[in-house]
Amino acid sequence: MRDDIGQGKIILPVKISRDAVINVRALLSHPMLTGMSRDQAGIPIPAYFVNDVVVTYGGEHVAHFVWTSGISRDPFVGFSLRASKEAPLTITWKDNKGGVYTQSADIKFGAA
Amino acid sequence: MRDPLSRRTFFKSSALALAALAVTGSGVGASPLVRGPDNEPDEQVKKVLREKFGARQIREGHVTLDVPDVAPDSREVPLLIECDLPMTASNYVKGIHIVVDHNPDIYLAGFDFTPAIGAATLDTRIKMRRSSQVRVIAETSGGELWTTSRFVFTSLNGCV
Repeated sequence: MRDDIGQGKIILPVKISRDAVINVRALLSHPMLTGMSRDQAGIPIPAYFVNDVVVTYGGEHVAHFVWTSGISRDPFVGFSLRASKEAPLTITWKDNKGGVYTQSADIKFGAA
Repeated sequence: MRDPLSRRTFFKSSALALAALAVTGSGVGASPLVRGPDNEPDEQVKKVLREKFGARQIREGHVTLDVPDVAPDSREVPLLIECDLPMTASNYVKGIHIVVDHNPDIYLAGFDFTPAIGAATLDTRIKMRRSSQVRVIAETSGGELWTTSRFVFTSLNGCV
């Protein structure tokens, strides 16, 4: 098994201005096994995938994704967000074996 | 007198024939002969849609789906979804649903939004078992359903 499971990453635009709609990209290291494949000995590999993703922005619930194993390995999701305040953006991924992975990034307005 | 069909003329004519065949063959291949089955969902897909959305009418429009016609890797088919529906506090896109007709999980994923999102766009990568219709359904807070679909050709089973 890979040893980097659960490493999350949030990519934000370099410059963010107030009330702009920005593009947030989030990536998680996860094998997303469907449970349909077998290993070399012919034993089925059990399903292991992220099925629940929650996005909060400054403590406020913003989005909720329900996934099946049909999402690709190392699940990637890009979505929009209105940058209304300077606050941390937190994404929590949960998998079907009870794993919970959290990653957050701070939304800050332009450096100038 | 020599045989009219000498070795040299035979090769020449067969090469010409092959070239002609290749030209006409590629001509046939380039024409849009195969556009996949029609858009109509089959019984299983209809059942999934009924379970998810009840008897509500699903209309075409307001959603765009950007996906390759032929997926180079069926384990990672990129989808880019955009909606031109308003995103205000009272009228917004509540959710985007992805349905792939021939996948083991027909209802592939659901994305629930709040107005804080600002725009209903989505970018993700999915697995596909075989060539299939990919449907995207956007649900507004008022309960309207808007859909679009594209047929995606794949060569391998990506559901591993």
